[in-house]
Amino acid sequence: MTRFRVMLAAVLLAGSVGGASAQTMSYADAAGLLAQSCGKDIQKYCSTVNLGNGALVACMDKNITKVNAQCKADYAAAQASIAKRDAAQDSIVKVCNADAARLCPGMIPQDGNLLSCLLEATKVVSGACNQAITDAGYR
Amino acid sequence: MTSPLIRFALAAALTFAAAPAVAQTSLNNSQILQGLQGLTDTAPVITAQQMRDQVQAHMVQYPGEALTRPSLALHLDKLPQINVQIQFRLNSAIIDPSSYRTLGSIADAMHNPILHGYKFIVTGNTDVTGSRETNLKLSQARADAVVTALTTTFNVNPSRLEAVGLGEEVLLDSKNPTSAINRRVQIFTVGRVGAK
Repeated sequence: MTRFRVMLAAVLLAGSVGGASAQTMSYADAAGLLAQSCGKDIQKYCSTVNLGNGALVACMDKNITKVNAQCKADYAAAQASIAKRDAAQDSIVKVCNADAARLCPGMIPQDGNLLSCLLEATKVVSGACNQAITDAGYR
Repeated sequence: MTSPLIRFALAAALTFAAAPAVAQTSLNNSQILQGLQGLTDTAPVITAQQMRDQVQAHMVQYPGEALTRPSLALHLDKLPQINVQIQFRLNSAIIDPSSYRTLGSIADAMHNPILHGYKFIVTGNTDVTGSRETNLKLSQARADAVVTALTTTFNVNPSRLEAVGLGEEVLLDSKNPTSAINRRVQIFTVGRVGAK
């Protein structure tokens, strides 16, 4: 728990500094940040569009010059984090395939067992796979 | 298996999660994960269509006034499940920003490798205020909005999710059918990906 909070604090700190190499936020934190910084602007400019299907993003992009500065910055940070996390999740099977075959041979992925195996073997897992696991939020 | 009492407490906890402290949020995340995991082989098998059929049958069987008819019992207590309060705009399926974080938490749980191989049914529920037909449509639209947000904004594979509007038929607190506690989104873990 404490470790998680320290990690989260580090993530938030890195994010606020500029965050080029920041770890991805959880979806909850990214969405929470968006709501916190942009809630009022969303009510003002985008109250008739929904979160899904890219509708909110399209509306926010259209109104980005009108929203408050904090919202503008945090909207970009939240979007970038979500995109990075999505990409890491989508890539993980491919990126970690060789590591899984080498370190967890014959394992049929179920209920998180393959990831547990890769996490246990963190020290000998390839850098790319470790990074993908981190960015995907699986650590 | 989570007891109904704990589930109720979870729903209540999430209701007040609009401006959460960091520690509180992570607790909620793990509660969502806990609530949705542990589907057993002996759990009942249910499809979205069967749920819709049960709602229709219930509406035909009990056409009376809301306060006099029984709540529909889906008998799904053996399925892993959570009740969450998602705030929508009045009479609309637009999700309020105050609930974005909750949706993100649900997405985090569904992306957790422990739940990766599973499918879910997302149900929308209203209280008994307003017309029954309108509530059925609204609850479907709201369940659809939640599923769309999860699958598009938060990258959950669409093949894992189905949305079912249950209208005002399935009350969490059947003794107080107009209570806000009945307005909720309930998510059930219903099977493995790839299984029929």
